[in-house]
Amino acid sequence: MADVVIQTTNLSKELTSSLLRRKVRILSGLNLSVAKGETFGLIGPNGAGKTTSIKLMLGLMRATEGKAEILGMPAGDKRALAQVGYLPENPYFYSHLTGREFLDFAGQLFGLGSRERKDRSKELIETVSLAEAADMQMRKYSKGMLQRLGIAQSLINRPAVIFWDEPMSGLDPIGRRDIRQILFGLKEKGTTIFFNSHLLPDVNEVCDRVGVINKGRLIVQEEVKNISAGGSYKDLEDFFLEVINKSESESNARTDQMAAITPEKEAAKPVKSEEEAKP
Amino acid sequence: MTAPHNDLSVIAPVAAIALNAFRETVRDRIIYALIFFAAIVTVLGIVLGSLSVGQDIRILKDIGLAAISFIGGIIAVFAGTNLVYKELERRTIYIIFSKPVSGWQFVLGKYIGLCLCVFVMVVAMGAFLAIIVTALSGSFAGASFFDQIKEITQELSLIYLELLFVTALATFFSTFSTPVLSVLFTLAIWLAGHLGESLLELGKLTQNPFVAQILSIIFYCLPDFAGLTRIRGHLLYGTHPGTEVLTYLVTYVLAYVLMLLVLAAIVTERKEFA
Ligand SMILES: Nc1ncnc2c1ncn2[C@@H]1O[C@H](COP(=O)(O)OP(=O)(O)O)[C@@H](O)[C@H]1O
Ligand SMILES: [Mg+2]
Repeated sequence: MADVVIQTTNLSKELTSSLLRRKVRILSGLNLSVAKGETFGLIGPNGAGKTTSIKLMLGLMRATEGKAEILGMPAGDKRALAQVGYLPENPYFYSHLTGREFLDFAGQLFGLGSRERKDRSKELIETVSLAEAADMQMRKYSKGMLQRLGIAQSLINRPAVIFWDEPMSGLDPIGRRDIRQILFGLKEKGTTIFFNSHLLPDVNEVCDRVGVINKGRLIVQEEVKNISAGGSYKDLEDFFLEVINKSESESNARTDQMAAITPEKEAAKPVKSEEEAKP
Repeated sequence: MTAPHNDLSVIAPVAAIALNAFRETVRDRIIYALIFFAAIVTVLGIVLGSLSVGQDIRILKDIGLAAISFIGGIIAVFAGTNLVYKELERRTIYIIFSKPVSGWQFVLGKYIGLCLCVFVMVVAMGAFLAIIVTALSGSFAGASFFDQIKEITQELSLIYLELLFVTALATFFSTFSTPVLSVLFTLAIWLAGHLGESLLELGKLTQNPFVAQILSIIFYCLPDFAGLTRIRGHLLYGTHPGTEVLTYLVTYVLAYVLMLLVLAAIVTERKEFA
């Protein structure tokens, strides 16, 4: 297992909602492992826990339970972060900097030398087609331009692993095609790629494997090539909808069951006794 | 897998964050409005000064220095208290802490960048004041100008020392409080520091031992800016305040700054960016 780049074990997060003074579980027992060079797509409806998962893996949030490791190092370890590229969701950067200055800033945070920063920025500005806007202050950027710049800054350190949170959002079809091209280029170079999306066609095209997450739980993981090959699903969207529906009805059933037995005080026991009765 | 960044530079992120904070503040137009305001106040001082009998160039200098201290403080307070909040609001904090950057590097970088900005502003305003004062003192001889520069520099160093403290205070509050509250806290403490020994006298006046106790604790816990201002007065009138007093105050303020920055770094290090 030397080739595992991203690994989470029972990764869970609880937040205390300040309004109701109640604990909310936004991620429950996530177990994932992504191999070197693999492209993994985490898909799920809004509020499923995709962004939370990435933040926990990067150490931006601390796990309530379980752990995440990147390149064999614990979440948030500086040596691991030095080899990571991250695109946050809905990036919005410093309006007072030009795109080029911002890339330089990102490079400095990694401790890159000035020559390297300059060359790399220039190269990335070309890659994400921002040449004309590179010396303009970011306050004048459109959402799509910010997204492109976000992609560029996530690659400044030639990362071994990238985490992209909704990379296609805010982009027009041309932008999405460009990002796909960049992704394919990174794949060829052996970069490990983890990204969140709800745009299934893009995921379908670039991912090796997908995980479906709903209400903080990873429901299923599957190789993309198996999904349509198996014949039971028309395409990824079909698969996704079916899996989500199934999990919704299961969780509804579970709550119904819970509601039914609440008066009997102990919730878990009846289920267990049913199982015991089987053999 | 190659590991190209084995020896993580400690300085680079601090420098990057400092430069960015400096740029952000310097590129903010509000600052220029403030400085313009300071210039107006000084010019107003000139007008008032020339009306008063036996017009004293010291009064003008006093007004000018007070304006610089005030404007510098305003810049420090407003830029400082927004530091962390703004990064959270526009989510740039994720960009920073997803890279190999520690909480203390962030805090130190921000602090240095702000202090640098305040420095540039103070020097610019000081130069303006020196020119006006020289012009009005009637002699354009080089020697006189350099005398003015020397005096104003002494004064401004003490003002800057105070601003270093105000900036640290604002930075500290910004790591855990909203901008509005941070501004209030910072201004309250700055002001209380200026009350100095008056706090003790106020305590005696209340004739309430409990209140007196509280006020004296506040007095002993805060840097004595009233003392600093007295020293500036000495300098303005050409008497030397005494090296021990000066050394004591400088050391005290710098130690205080260090403590605030360490606390700010600890808070930032423990923060979650949900
Ligand atoms: N800071 C927060 N405070 C309270 N709830 C949060 C916070 N961040 C996320 N959540 C909740 O956690 C859940 C998962 O959020 P998120 O990971 O952003 O979902 P996704 O990225 O899949 O859309 C959502 O229900 C969201 O409302
Ligand atoms: Mg999200």
